[in-house]
Amino acid sequence: MDKNIPQEIERFDLSVRIQHIIMFTTFLLLSFTGWGLKYAYVQPSSAWITIWGGAKVAGIIHRVAGIIMLMDFVYHQFYLLNLARKKDLRLTIVPMPKDVIDAFHNFMYFFGFRKERPYFGKFNYMQKFDYWAVYWGMFIIGSSGLFLAFPVTASMLFPAFTTQWIWDILFIMHSDEALLAIVFILIFHFYNEHLRSEVFPMNWMWLTGKMTIEQLKHHHPAEYDYLYGKDKKK
Amino acid sequence: MRIWLSTAMLLLFTFLLVPGAGAATDSATCFGCHGSMEGDVKVEQEKYSKSVHGSFDCVTCHMAPKGDQHQGLGGAAPDKSVKELAASLAHKSTKDPIAQSACITCHPDLYEAYKKSVHGQNVITKKSTDGPVCTNCHGSPHYIQARPSAESKVHLFNVVESCGKCHEEKHMSEKYGFSPLVMERYLESFHGRKLKLGHAGAPSCASCHGSHDIKSAKDPSSPVGNLENKKKTCSECHSGATEKFVAAITHKPLHPIAHWSEIGLILLTVGTFIFIIIHVLLDIYADIRDRLFRKGGNH
Repeated sequence: MDKNIPQEIERFDLSVRIQHIIMFTTFLLLSFTGWGLKYAYVQPSSAWITIWGGAKVAGIIHRVAGIIMLMDFVYHQFYLLNLARKKDLRLTIVPMPKDVIDAFHNFMYFFGFRKERPYFGKFNYMQKFDYWAVYWGMFIIGSSGLFLAFPVTASMLFPAFTTQWIWDILFIMHSDEALLAIVFILIFHFYNEHLRSEVFPMNWMWLTGKMTIEQLKHHHPAEYDYLYGKDKKK
Repeated sequence: MRIWLSTAMLLLFTFLLVPGAGAATDSATCFGCHGSMEGDVKVEQEKYSKSVHGSFDCVTCHMAPKGDQHQGLGGAAPDKSVKELAASLAHKSTKDPIAQSACITCHPDLYEAYKKSVHGQNVITKKSTDGPVCTNCHGSPHYIQARPSAESKVHLFNVVESCGKCHEEKHMSEKYGFSPLVMERYLESFHGRKLKLGHAGAPSCASCHGSHDIKSAKDPSSPVGNLENKKKTCSECHSGATEKFVAAITHKPLHPIAHWSEIGLILLTVGTFIFIIIHVLLDIYADIRDRLFRKGGNH
């Protein structure tokens, strides 16, 4: 092996790892407290909410966690800006036409029409999906959550003709898309990062931030080639 | 000898238990029969004694019980106000209108408020059988609990159910022109959900609409009957409530825009579920296939 190729590379720096921890901690708190309200008429919702300190305390936890999560999200934007300022920002997470082709190839591979996984870059289309799902959630659930938390202030922002339906839409947005987010995390994220046989019980990258060079070569060949060049491959 | 003794005892008890006409009958006499009877006429003595009115004699309200079996039993003669009310409640309260009207003896202020309310107007003035009298909301007169008690039918956490007994009935909403979805829309709102979860600050029906003095929401004097009143009512919790803010709650069916937005979001959610579930299942399938048939294939 080439001396210039390290044993492992850092994929997530410390800041990103902390951002992720804040994100999932607040996500869990929001899910647990919000679930009780969404399914208030399904037992044992009342007992569940009692665990969280009763309806009033659960509501405070929900609001505080929501604001911390939004702050985490805003911080992430400044983190990206800072990377850009340092000319350290590669747009590897931005969806590209190649992702559609990769997805198509991946399904071909699933069905046995291709022998190999697609030639994935630093982040494959599933990881991009995972990442941008947070943006969708922040805009849909975060904005509606803020409006619902401060309804009197929010009512001043909405034009008069919206008053007949805006609150119902905000409520549906917040509640339905939160369910989407929870199920998405439970199925897609948990399978990919926890249950998949090669990472079970979890992908430790959330703590170490590091990936071995073999894993990189195997799962993200395009990134490996970008970093170390095709000629250095063997 | 024994027969004489039994007869003497029976006579003695008869005179002890049935006092002469005009003297107030005490509750023990009534419970002698009504404590062990079956059906509507049964009153559970223990539960009664724990209710707010448990220290009263039965005849405090049942001043003139009907029927031969009650001959010689009774309390003070009902006064004019009770008699008047009893006459106007006779169509609604068939069992004992006097007892139903006796509440006003101690609660005249609540009766005055009720008489002017949409409920009282309907029952007393319009002689309708719709609309509640005291016991329709407060529950059986024998077991009334004070409102702070969780067993009270008008407790913050129970009153919605009590209102719902009439207000979720379709024929009522058609007859009186309130929203047929008033209960459903309240229950699914944040207010209804929070109340269900035991949030003491969440509003019930009565918090906004009032109770004994309740008015139709179409009546301008209702706390939610006009814009100014609505602003005032909402402001009790949401300080600074504006005209646009108070429009939020109508209890009306979903607006078409909200309805179709909901369907759009549901389709998006279900579509995403289907995609990720298929994706994960295929991934698992490919993983197993490769481990079984393609040595070193994917790993």
